Amino acid sequence: MSNLTNLTEVTDLLTAGEPETPQRPKRRSRMVLPKNFGRCALILVPYVWLLVLFLIPFIIVVKISLSDTAIAMPPYTPTFDWAGGWASFKEMVGGWDFENFTWLMEDDLYWKSYLSSLEIAFVSSLLALLIGYPIAYSMARAPAEWRPTLLMLIILPFWTSFLIRVYAWIGILKKEGLLNMLLMHLGIIDDPLTILNTDLAVYIGIVYSYLPFMVLPLYSSLEKMDDSLLEAATDLGCSPFKAFWLITVPLSLPGVIAGCFLVFIPAVGEFVIPDLLGGSNTLMIGKTLWVEFFANRDWPVASAVAVILLILLVVPIVLFQRQQEKQQEKGA
Amino acid sequence: MKRFSFFNASALTLGFAFLYLPIVLLIIFSFNESRLVTVWGGFSTKWYSAVFANKGFMDAAWVTVRVGVVSATLATILGTMAALVLVRAGRFPGKTLFSGMVYAPLVMPEVITGLSLLLLFVSLDFDRGFWTIILAHVTFSMCYSAVVVSSRLVTFDMSLEEAAMDLGASRMATFFQVTVPIILPAIVSAWLLSFTLSLDDLVIASFTSGPGATTLPMKIYSQVRLGVTPEINALSTILVVLVSTGVIAASLLTKRREVQRRREERAAFAES
Amino acid sequence: MNGSPNFGSGCSFAPWADPHEKPLIRFDAVTKKFDDFVAIDNLNLKIYEREFFALLGPSGCGKTTLMRMLAGFEQPTTGSIMMNQEHLTDIPPHRRPVNMMFQSYALFPHMTVEQNIAFGLKQERRPKAEIKERVEEMIALVQLQPFAKRKPHQLSGGQRQRVALARSLAKKPRLLLLDEPLGALDRKLREQTQFELMTIQEKLGLTFVIVTHDQEEAMTVASRIALMEQGKVVQVATPREIYETPNCRYVADFLGDVNIVGGHILGPDDKEEDIVQLAWHEDYAPLRVRLPQPVTFPAKGKEMWIAVRPEKVRITKDYPTDTHNILKGKVLDIAYTGNISTYHVRTEDGQIIKSQEANLEHLHRRAITWDDEVYVHWRAGGCVLLER
Ligand SMILES: Nc1ncnc2c1ncn2[C@@H]1O[C@H](COP(=O)(O)OP(=O)(O)OP(=O)(O)O)[C@@H](O)[C@H]1O
Ligand SMILES: [Mg+2]
Repeated sequence: MSNLTNLTEVTDLLTAGEPETPQRPKRRSRMVLPKNFGRCALILVPYVWLLVLFLIPFIIVVKISLSDTAIAMPPYTPTFDWAGGWASFKEMVGGWDFENFTWLMEDDLYWKSYLSSLEIAFVSSLLALLIGYPIAYSMARAPAEWRPTLLMLIILPFWTSFLIRVYAWIGILKKEGLLNMLLMHLGIIDDPLTILNTDLAVYIGIVYSYLPFMVLPLYSSLEKMDDSLLEAATDLGCSPFKAFWLITVPLSLPGVIAGCFLVFIPAVGEFVIPDLLGGSNTLMIGKTLWVEFFANRDWPVASAVAVILLILLVVPIVLFQRQQEKQQEKGA
Repeated sequence: MKRFSFFNASALTLGFAFLYLPIVLLIIFSFNESRLVTVWGGFSTKWYSAVFANKGFMDAAWVTVRVGVVSATLATILGTMAALVLVRAGRFPGKTLFSGMVYAPLVMPEVITGLSLLLLFVSLDFDRGFWTIILAHVTFSMCYSAVVVSSRLVTFDMSLEEAAMDLGASRMATFFQVTVPIILPAIVSAWLLSFTLSLDDLVIASFTSGPGATTLPMKIYSQVRLGVTPEINALSTILVVLVSTGVIAASLLTKRREVQRRREERAAFAES
Repeated sequence: MNGSPNFGSGCSFAPWADPHEKPLIRFDAVTKKFDDFVAIDNLNLKIYEREFFALLGPSGCGKTTLMRMLAGFEQPTTGSIMMNQEHLTDIPPHRRPVNMMFQSYALFPHMTVEQNIAFGLKQERRPKAEIKERVEEMIALVQLQPFAKRKPHQLSGGQRQRVALARSLAKKPRLLLLDEPLGALDRKLREQTQFELMTIQEKLGLTFVIVTHDQEEAMTVASRIALMEQGKVVQVATPREIYETPNCRYVADFLGDVNIVGGHILGPDDKEEDIVQLAWHEDYAPLRVRLPQPVTFPAKGKEMWIAVRPEKVRITKDYPTDTHNILKGKVLDIAYTGNISTYHVRTEDGQIIKSQEANLEHLHRRAITWDDEVYVHWRAGGCVLLER
């Protein structure tokens, strides 16, 4: 089912430095693992692991989002008591309601933070595209012997700590920070600008942090492009700009789409960037969830926020998946 | 020979300046004598001594490394198994769910993963700490490992395995003597990726750790919230330099092997 | 033929002709389906010990599938494969006394030449000294002594192919399968290796099954050739038989060049009793074919075909005597291929007949040229009569 070609390609790029030359065997062997104990064990170990540590936790999140807050440990009711058995289970189910969700609907803080998360993620994706496209394009047009180095330079930030890279911007963007000092020194401004703790800082942070995820799919779609296509277009009377617009851009569209999704999806649920760079009125859902959980210790509401965030993300994820599958079919 | 055009050169310069300038500034200011992080007060390495003298940092670093090594190792093993299941196990009931579970953590917001794991540990009444962080890290890193290893397995030349079996190797022997050595680079990449993911993680570790276990990102985060300090700059520099050296060395090594290999291939054909 | 007198016909080695001989391999009504697609269709085949058996056929006819069933990588859907009266079907690939030389060579990239060759022996946990000795023996056999410590990527194509051969021979398999072993080699190396393969097979007394696309190669190396078409074996015979007496037009056409003329049986010739006449055109004399012994005359009026190889068709400007079949025509085209020239002659009724002549003289001295009026003719014994 989910064979995310581009994602695979991106991880290939991230880990190997260069995508592996596909030497797909001509004969798709039917030789599979034997249907015996070994195969069962092989399937069961990762399967059970993911069930217990990935799927069941979600079910628990959904369950707790239906519970009520309580001042206790764990801070929610009703809890399920194993010893109580079926009766306890019925009692727990009976105690469930959609109160938290109603609460989320009514309090416009949540509404706004969902909307502004989507907005920030969307705008950041566009900004990342605007900045990433020229970079990816120039990388793909660079002399062949330079490309591995350039690729390495794009990949390197991915490996270095996300937190540190976000932190690095604080020193630059704050009121008495390097940017303001530079601008004032050059006489462009007289009073320091307030950039840190605004939405602008969050945009910068997201674009900066996720730029490699935009550049890599763009690069891999642009690099695959055959130079002779452009030559043919100019030969047929296109100006270079028109050739770029009519040939390069359409052919890089899969990369554009993949890159936008790869920035948009993680940006929606981002916590570190709005927390460190954003201000108190920067609303992003990841931060809201964190605050709800750690500061307010309201686990049921935090769970409800998570459930809705997930529902919001399902649409782009499914769209992304569709696009990836289409790409794969085209490739096959 | 193709050269950089003016547009390409400037796009790349600006792009890489944007990517690297913040880090470079951070590194420069880690050598700042002054406590005021934005005013240059002369060269000094005193903040580095301060980092090494800071027991909190050192303890957190030790926890982080241990978590990283254990979780990366487990994640690589589980991820390789998951990749084998995805690529080789054929059809089995629940395969769609399985591949869904492998790919979903890659796009899942960390806050959700963290919250859900915490709620699991609470309802199971686990003591949160070192081991719960490891469980959490293994869970998301194994998915990355699975993607890395399976992309190598897909292009694996099956006739090699068939040849091994044809020569009398059992499935197990084939796997360990032929398959593993050949996909080893992917397995190593998967381990390194898992290790760095664990090293970098703040959100999931914050949710799943307990009083006893603070990782370095958690420590850095709690300090950073209080403002920029030269100590954090120094610590960040150490981390960035360590990881970058590792990554660059690894890639140079691969590259050199590749070049060497090409040269040998050419020599072999020239010889005959 | 390079010290292998066993091959070709008229030889002493013909276990298939002996009804008491037990085959090494027996396919009994084997069918292999991939989902709905029938790759092998109800196939029966016997392969005898010490044979050099060639599988020939167009791409996709199931040659590789047949080999893979022998090696154990595919299971027949129905039917059984026996080896020495023993069912092969239930034995997993790593327990079969069968080794395969892969088309891609499938050399383990992380092992040296020595380690590659030793791999199979190590799996049997033979003593170290024995393994060493055997590996050296194999390396000597394929003349790779200077390269023993190299890895596959440090070898040229021909050397890799030798390693693959040595590796598959190291365990002395009862049966060696070679799937287009020489496909990647250039012509010179290929011919040289063909003879090496024959010598090795002879020396070690093994049974080889080889798949090849190259009919010349099959003719050179094989004791018998099986020609396949869409999962079926059409004819199994020695190279000479399959070339000289194909059993249908498909076989005649697949192996080498052929002229085919269709017609209806008229009856026996009035002078020679083993010659049958075939009416092929109302305006022209019937064609004559000498039937093989023992003579069985086909029914009168039956539709049949005559196949005659171009090298058995003579071309002259003068009306020939002392021959059975003569057609008059005009030279349409001459294809010069160095040692021979092939003349394409359009006969009066519009058929194209090809005739090959050795180039005995330099080109400019050639007596026959384009648009010449010529006679093409062949003897009754030079052609065969085909039912299909
Ligand atoms: N694993 C498979 N799954 C589905 N179909 C297969 C499989 N293996 C082979 N086939 C089909 O069976 C047919 C015979 O294949 P096979 O490889 O045996 O042909 P071949 O005679 O070896 O051809 P070639 O000369 O091109 O190697 C082909 O049409 C092929 O598509
Ligand atoms: Mg084949």
